[in-house]
Amino acid sequence: MNSDLHERARMLIALSGPEEVSSAERSWLASHLESCTSCREFAENSSEAVRALRAIPITASGSLVSATRARVRQRAQELQRHRERQRVIWVCCVAVTLCTAINTAILWRGFVWLGQYARLSAPVLGTGFALLCLMPAIVTGILMLARGTHLADHNGSFQG
Amino acid sequence: MNATGCYFVNAMADENTEIARGLRRRDPDLLDLLIEKYQHRLLRYLVHLTGRRELAEDFFQETWVRVLERGSQYDGRHAFSAWLFSIARNLVLDYLRRKQPASLDSLADPDEGTPFEVPDAGSPSALELTLQQEQHEQIAAGMERLAAVYREALVLRFQESMPIDEIANVVGVPVGTVKSRIYRGLTALQPWLKGARP
Repeated sequence: MNSDLHERARMLIALSGPEEVSSAERSWLASHLESCTSCREFAENSSEAVRALRAIPITASGSLVSATRARVRQRAQELQRHRERQRVIWVCCVAVTLCTAINTAILWRGFVWLGQYARLSAPVLGTGFALLCLMPAIVTGILMLARGTHLADHNGSFQG
Repeated sequence: MNATGCYFVNAMADENTEIARGLRRRDPDLLDLLIEKYQHRLLRYLVHLTGRRELAEDFFQETWVRVLERGSQYDGRHAFSAWLFSIARNLVLDYLRRKQPASLDSLADPDEGTPFEVPDAGSPSALELTLQQEQHEQIAAGMERLAAVYREALVLRFQESMPIDEIANVVGVPVGTVKSRIYRGLTALQPWLKGARP
């Protein structure tokens, strides 16, 4: 008998499940097994192997499960804290942006009046105004960096 | 598909959607339930994948932490178990990649470039310590001697009863390759099974 036929039969045996093997293939396999001792033996061995595989007793211990749960909960809390911190930072950023936009308009009017009063040139006025606007962002950035370095040194969990 | 089949498919899809929602919220109670439900299946897969129970237990914990962290990536369209196993698999792969690049071969396809050989029955296996049932010692030893990719395919197919296309998703290879691995794995187990017979 052609060795390809044995190979095909054994492949069908290995796949076994009804969703993987069509009814036509199953009937071909059944007729092949009737006449082929070696493939029949392969089929018997395979079903025995599958039975043995399914019976291998590997179970998770209670201590492993509870340790895992504890670790997952702890990590969930860490992530929650990290998310809250991020939320605070975002709120601060939005608030700062809004305040800056409103204040800029008011400040600019004041600067123009001062410039006219002191008779300053336009470049000097512009540079001074830009520095004043950037000052809060620079100070906030420095403070956040200092705070982040402090947390990384003493807590280790800042990176989340 | 008949009415009962439709019911189960819909129920499973609903369950997957619920899991996806809960994971997006990082709901720790849902995680507790999932750990309870999949504890044995995941550990069994990891023990067979790594060949060592202690290592498998470490990966077990790590997998659930990763599920918590990456929960938003699960879309609920595929079975949760397939997604869970693929996370576990990727963790093991990353570990092997970091630890010793050469050991990646254990999860590479041994079919590529080398002829297929049935492994010979040799020295006692580490897995035997875990798998103590005497009548299954030989099959456990056989599993230990199998290349990891065959072992993985057999475990997912016959222990987890996973459909072949789902296994292909977990392992990230074509369906044909999965079929071939199952066939070759089963063929490689045959000599061990004969040894186990009284």
